[in-house]
Amino acid sequence: MNSGLRRYGIWVIVALVGAICWGVLALARGETINAGWLLFAAIASYAIAYRFYARFTQNRVLGTDDSRATPAERLNNGRDFEPMDRRVLFGHHFAAIAGAGPLVGPVLAAQMGFLPGTIWIIVGVILAGAVQDMTTLFFSMRRDGKSLGQMAREEIGPVGGAAALIAVLSIMVILLAVLALVVVLALAESPWGSFSLAMTIPIALLMGVYMRFLRPGRVLEVSVIGVALLILAIFGGGWISESSSYAGFWTFTPNQLVFGLIVYGFVASVLPVWLLLAPRDYLSTFMKIGTIALLAVGIAIMLPPIQMPKFTEFAFNGAGPVFAGALFPFVFITIACGALSGFHSLFASGTTPKLIQKESQVRMIGYGAMLMESFVAVMAIIAATVLDPGVYFAMNANPALLGDTAQSAAQAVSSFGFQVDPQTLTGTAAAVGEESIIGRTGGAPTLAVGISQIFSSVLGGTAQAFWYHFAIMFEALFILTTVDAGTRVGRFMIQDLVGNVWQPFARTSWLPGNLIASALIVGGWGYFLYAGVNDPLGGINQLFPLFGIANQLLAAVALTVGTTILIKMGKLRYAWVTALPLAWDAAVTLTASWQKIFSTDPAIGFFAQRAAAVQSIEAGKLNDTLIALKAESIDDARQILVNTTVDGVLSILFAVMIIIVIADASRVWYGLIWGGKQPEMSEAPWEESHLDSEGKEIEREPVGAR
Amino acid sequence: MKEHLRAIWEYLKEISGENAYDRYLAVHAATHPGKPAMTRGEFYRWRQDEKYNNPGARCP
Repeated sequence: MNSGLRRYGIWVIVALVGAICWGVLALARGETINAGWLLFAAIASYAIAYRFYARFTQNRVLGTDDSRATPAERLNNGRDFEPMDRRVLFGHHFAAIAGAGPLVGPVLAAQMGFLPGTIWIIVGVILAGAVQDMTTLFFSMRRDGKSLGQMAREEIGPVGGAAALIAVLSIMVILLAVLALVVVLALAESPWGSFSLAMTIPIALLMGVYMRFLRPGRVLEVSVIGVALLILAIFGGGWISESSSYAGFWTFTPNQLVFGLIVYGFVASVLPVWLLLAPRDYLSTFMKIGTIALLAVGIAIMLPPIQMPKFTEFAFNGAGPVFAGALFPFVFITIACGALSGFHSLFASGTTPKLIQKESQVRMIGYGAMLMESFVAVMAIIAATVLDPGVYFAMNANPALLGDTAQSAAQAVSSFGFQVDPQTLTGTAAAVGEESIIGRTGGAPTLAVGISQIFSSVLGGTAQAFWYHFAIMFEALFILTTVDAGTRVGRFMIQDLVGNVWQPFARTSWLPGNLIASALIVGGWGYFLYAGVNDPLGGINQLFPLFGIANQLLAAVALTVGTTILIKMGKLRYAWVTALPLAWDAAVTLTASWQKIFSTDPAIGFFAQRAAAVQSIEAGKLNDTLIALKAESIDDARQILVNTTVDGVLSILFAVMIIIVIADASRVWYGLIWGGKQPEMSEAPWEESHLDSEGKEIEREPVGAR
Repeated sequence: MKEHLRAIWEYLKEISGENAYDRYLAVHAATHPGKPAMTRGEFYRWRQDEKYNNPGARCP
């Protein structure tokens, strides 16, 4: 009893702290609530989940075995297979999974109030997201680092495998388009932002040459040089935006930026990686980790009050001006990264499993890194909700609803049920060094205003404009890195696919194949980017749900593979650990798809919008539905017709693929549980480990003797 | 304090790949004794090309 108390006493206290924080969040009836409650509710929940649920999953469900040699140990070649210190691998894995996703989704979902998003981020990561990452990592490790697609093919069957492959490719295209759209929306008409982001290209080239030829492998010194130049570029942007002769030159319309990004994406995919992609990767990783750490410190020092209410009416009536649709299912679609992100399963299978020293470390690396990402999402929601809600809606609502002036925006905001006076809007814009903040959708500018308010208040209210552009630069920089890397990944996938049919195409060094595959991928996301920027109904609110659905589709594939393997391992008793999140994920994704396809509300359903567009074009004038959606001309109607057709067909495709994967897996499950089928697994055979938990050799023997 | 700083420095070197070459030399000496190893420049150029020619994916 006494030792039990000693062992669990600290956890009783953690549980109490967590319970009190959650209680305050749920019951508070004041005007505002301090962000500290939210922060500590999250931390206490993570700690308990990591200590108890993750350990249960590790020991009982997966049954990790530290006497078993990992692929890193068995196949150690000092290159891709290599036992890596768990703390170092944790850093690598976190840097790989954390991108712009956990920063954008929570900002958009904040329109429903701070509580729905917060609850989903915390509960979702504990029961679904971190479990997915950890189990995928473990199963891939047991299979010498096979990719998710390969595992789906081997454990479920060729149909499930093919669906997984198509899912990966299509999510990549949508994802890159949405991320590029966020950059365009953040930089349009902003000479400061455009200049400092453009400067990252010469900075990266300089770093690339330095690292390749002058001082190979000196990553730290070149990164210090790069970050210093980056800060200079931000100051330079401030000078440019003040200058009467250069400001105009660096001010771009959205369509000019679209064109620039498409050309840039193509060139970056074709150029050798050491010149542009690799140095940019280092730069954005350091910026990312640094800014996230700064933000955590800033929030912990300031403990700002949250201005957004717990729930807004949009959570229930589905008429939100940021994106349409009710709390269920759209909060769970909008916030993917940070709660449950299928995209992680691509990284959890492939690179990281080849570097793990000990099986039990999947808990720290898989589960732990995902908890960190979730924490980033919590900070994003704090940064968005400490803003005046009026400012939040004036920035994020569909620009067609807001009009062009501070007066019209303030009026629109009051029609949403929030108050803001026009002076506040112009004042906020002036404080961050921008012409206007009205209708700056996409999440990044909102987050940047939130971050700049927190940082500048830590420093006594100075330099807000610098911090705003610092935050914009940090987001744009690593989105562009994702665009580079994602285009490349997609290019390899296409080359691999076509290579099955026609051999020369598979050689990644073959220039024509390289050019054609790059053009296909860039053309794919470039199309959606262009359509999104020119969407008369606002691009981000149309495309973001599609992106969320695609991402959760990938999560469904990963969780289906996990459930199948658990059943094959004879762990039917514990299969609920992945099967319950799968059921939830399928329910959310299919409901969202259903509404996007069949809803008669034209704000939500793609085909309802399409029908209105068809009717307007036939009649030769806009009908009431499109006028209510703020379409302005018959050309708008034509554009709506094209966009909704493409988006609608994609929604159908995604929904059908989820159903195929789950149905194909159910066939396998039925055969295993009731059909008396013998499980066939492709696990690598057991071999004894010779490493201790710190990665040191236990038995001294000459390496050649094995 | 000094020890902590040293540990942080070692961690940074490890995580950024600064000392990957030293580790490669150790593995190479153990597995291919007597054969010439890559130079520092060759090793990092090879490593970079390898990494990006077999890309994984990252989270949005």
